[in-house]
Amino acid sequence: MQLISKNSLTNKVRKTANVNAALAAATCALLGTSAVVQADEGLWEMDAALLYYGETERVTAVEGVFSAKKDFGDEHIFSTKITADSLTGASASGAVAQPNAQTYTRPSGKGQYVVAAGEVPLDDTFHDTRVQLEAQWTQPLWNDMRGSTGVHLSKEYDYLSIAVNGSLAKDFNQKNTTVSAGLSLAYDTIDPEGGRPVAFSEMVIDEGQFANEEAYQAAFDATRQTDTDDKTTVDLMFGVTQIINRRILMQFNYGLSMSDGYHTDPFKVLSVVNDQGLTQSLVHEDRPTERTRHNFYWQTKYALDSGVADISYRYATDDWDINSHTIDSRFRFNLSDNTYIQPHFRYYQQSAADFYQPFLLEDSSLPTFASADYRLGEMTAYTIGLKYGMTMPSGNEWAFRVEYYQQDPKNAGFDAPGALQQLDLYPSVKAVIAQVSYSF
Amino acid sequence: MNDAFTIEQKSDHIIGRFAAMASPCELLIETKDPLLANHLTSLAYKESQRIEQKFSRYLPNNLMANINHRMGKAVAIDDETFRLLEFANTCFELSDGMFDITSGVLRKAWKFDGSDNLPTPDAVKVLMPHIGWRKVKYTQSSITLAKGMELDFGGIGKEYAVDCVAKLCAESASTTSIVVNFGGDIQVTRARHNSQPWHIGIENPEDDNSTTKVLKIVSGGLATSGDARRYLLKDGKHYSHILNPETGYPTETAARSVTVAAPHCIQAGLLATMALLKGPNAEVFLEQQDVKFWCYR
Amino acid sequence: MLKKARIILAFLISTQLVGCANLGVQPWERDLLAKEEMALDSEGIDLGLDDHIYFSKEATSGGRAFAGGGCGCN
Repeated sequence: MQLISKNSLTNKVRKTANVNAALAAATCALLGTSAVVQADEGLWEMDAALLYYGETERVTAVEGVFSAKKDFGDEHIFSTKITADSLTGASASGAVAQPNAQTYTRPSGKGQYVVAAGEVPLDDTFHDTRVQLEAQWTQPLWNDMRGSTGVHLSKEYDYLSIAVNGSLAKDFNQKNTTVSAGLSLAYDTIDPEGGRPVAFSEMVIDEGQFANEEAYQAAFDATRQTDTDDKTTVDLMFGVTQIINRRILMQFNYGLSMSDGYHTDPFKVLSVVNDQGLTQSLVHEDRPTERTRHNFYWQTKYALDSGVADISYRYATDDWDINSHTIDSRFRFNLSDNTYIQPHFRYYQQSAADFYQPFLLEDSSLPTFASADYRLGEMTAYTIGLKYGMTMPSGNEWAFRVEYYQQDPKNAGFDAPGALQQLDLYPSVKAVIAQVSYSF
Repeated sequence: MNDAFTIEQKSDHIIGRFAAMASPCELLIETKDPLLANHLTSLAYKESQRIEQKFSRYLPNNLMANINHRMGKAVAIDDETFRLLEFANTCFELSDGMFDITSGVLRKAWKFDGSDNLPTPDAVKVLMPHIGWRKVKYTQSSITLAKGMELDFGGIGKEYAVDCVAKLCAESASTTSIVVNFGGDIQVTRARHNSQPWHIGIENPEDDNSTTKVLKIVSGGLATSGDARRYLLKDGKHYSHILNPETGYPTETAARSVTVAAPHCIQAGLLATMALLKGPNAEVFLEQQDVKFWCYR
Repeated sequence: MLKKARIILAFLISTQLVGCANLGVQPWERDLLAKEEMALDSEGIDLGLDDHIYFSKEATSGGRAFAGGGCGCN
């Protein structure tokens, strides 16, 4: 803000550029406000963030998000978000470790990978880029009632998901209580490279037994289904938000989710082991075609004099017999008028799905459904993190977050035969998360 | 409920009224709850009393009296006073030295009562050494004024009080639209329920017979500078009461009154005052600042 | 059977808490609640990113928002 002027007594023309802007800034400094007293209508609020997720020796992901929100007047709000993420690295295939090296075929059928003795088999062909777009519109309807509707689209190389949602919310009791109900419908299609495997078909590994390339390909194709498959999900949510007192706000949500269609992970297998614990073959997993889930969520936010304490508890249960408890807490401490730190602690615990098995026994009959994906098994996980935020004089905010996430799969009660007793069948997964965000 | 202020219920809002800073003050509150209106009006009354007690030039033992009569010794100040001094400093710079809160001593020479009693050149000259913002020394914790110098917050006190009261009301009732109106210096805390404008009657002080002007305001602040009744008239020449601190004489060809709309009342007030100090260039200046304004000559 | 009982119990607890409709504050007591960091959707970006991570690495999703994550990550 340049102020160029000449002496008033000599009557020369003054050039004053934007005295108003300088005055506005001086006013904010005087009154101690960082922005205009009432909410800015007609301005886009934007947020951008970049996240790095890295597991030791496994998956690495980089995710970028950009979101924008605008109030078009009288609480007619439009918000949109675009996310892009890229994953590389290796992820557990579901097979068990062995006392000797093993060879696996990649899910696409093209190529193989070797796993060292004693190591958990990780499939490292896993790399994918995904783009996601969402848009949401909210506006007041009738007295004290608000409606919201939105769309959501996610696309990656072999997976497409489209969803629409709608919800209504009504305020009661001088806006101390809000009741809401929402519905979401999602349609997903999956078309993996190499096609989806036939349930429990054996992984075809080329160890020299095929006469030529075509013979191998024919054997591989025999284990594949060529069509794409899909999954539809219906979600219902009911929520109550209640102000308890001047400092405390609570939210309770109940969610019901019913999905129908292809739930199997086409990249995961199970090892078929003999009574010595040695792998005889590998078969592709199979999951049920239906899943009904119930979610109960309770969150409390407590306003401290200089910060906020936020604690939530979630209990989930479903008809795959997975029950979980999640406690998530964030404590924000304002260090000054424009900086804060926020420690974060999360604890998660889940029980195994009823069709979860870490491996199959050779002489047992095949179950209807089975998966060795550790993410469906018994496990506890915890996250510990710290976030630092600072508001610049312009009113924009930078934030930096670092977290450590560890998953500890547990034995859900399966006796390991023979050689498997000496091996770690439930290795922990350790990840570091780092994020930078900017709000403007 | 008490003598300090009154409450009046209207069809869709409540008005709280009291007197402060030599002006009729009112609070227009978009609510049907008399308890809320009572609470807010009481808050506004107490805050305007506090500011008036602290910064008024007319009281014998307050902070201003201490600062103005210390004769060259440092006086301890608090954070609020420091912020006001910083603000006055910025206004001094932005107005090329025309807005100067040490120019209040000129009232000893100039009495704007509509008569033709101009002061003698000597009467003005003797006061000039006691004027000059650059001579004021202040830090975050203290201020030192030379003997004979005085600070006068009269030009910004009312607008500052309006903004302070508005801020308190907004913090206390963040979802309620409230208009703070101290004799035409106005601040709205937030837009009304359906973004309808508030209709505020402004009396034209010049002409008691004219109908009250009705102002429509949705949000932000409004302030008026200038007073059509304070002037001197001699030999056909009109002398406005806006004094140039460098010469000690009225600004030539100043407008009679300027009203400006800006996000905050004190910001609007300063723009209006600066416009008056520009004399003939008031309109040009305000157009350059890209604000809504009304100029009367 | 036990599962159904659990669901019903969780439901009952939630609905009892809704019955506390005489809780709340007067409009002029909303100063602390109006702070940006007290909004339920403050830090929306962080929550969305975390939801995506946990959806990919765990069997449960949803609670705060709709459960259908809509991506091939799990």
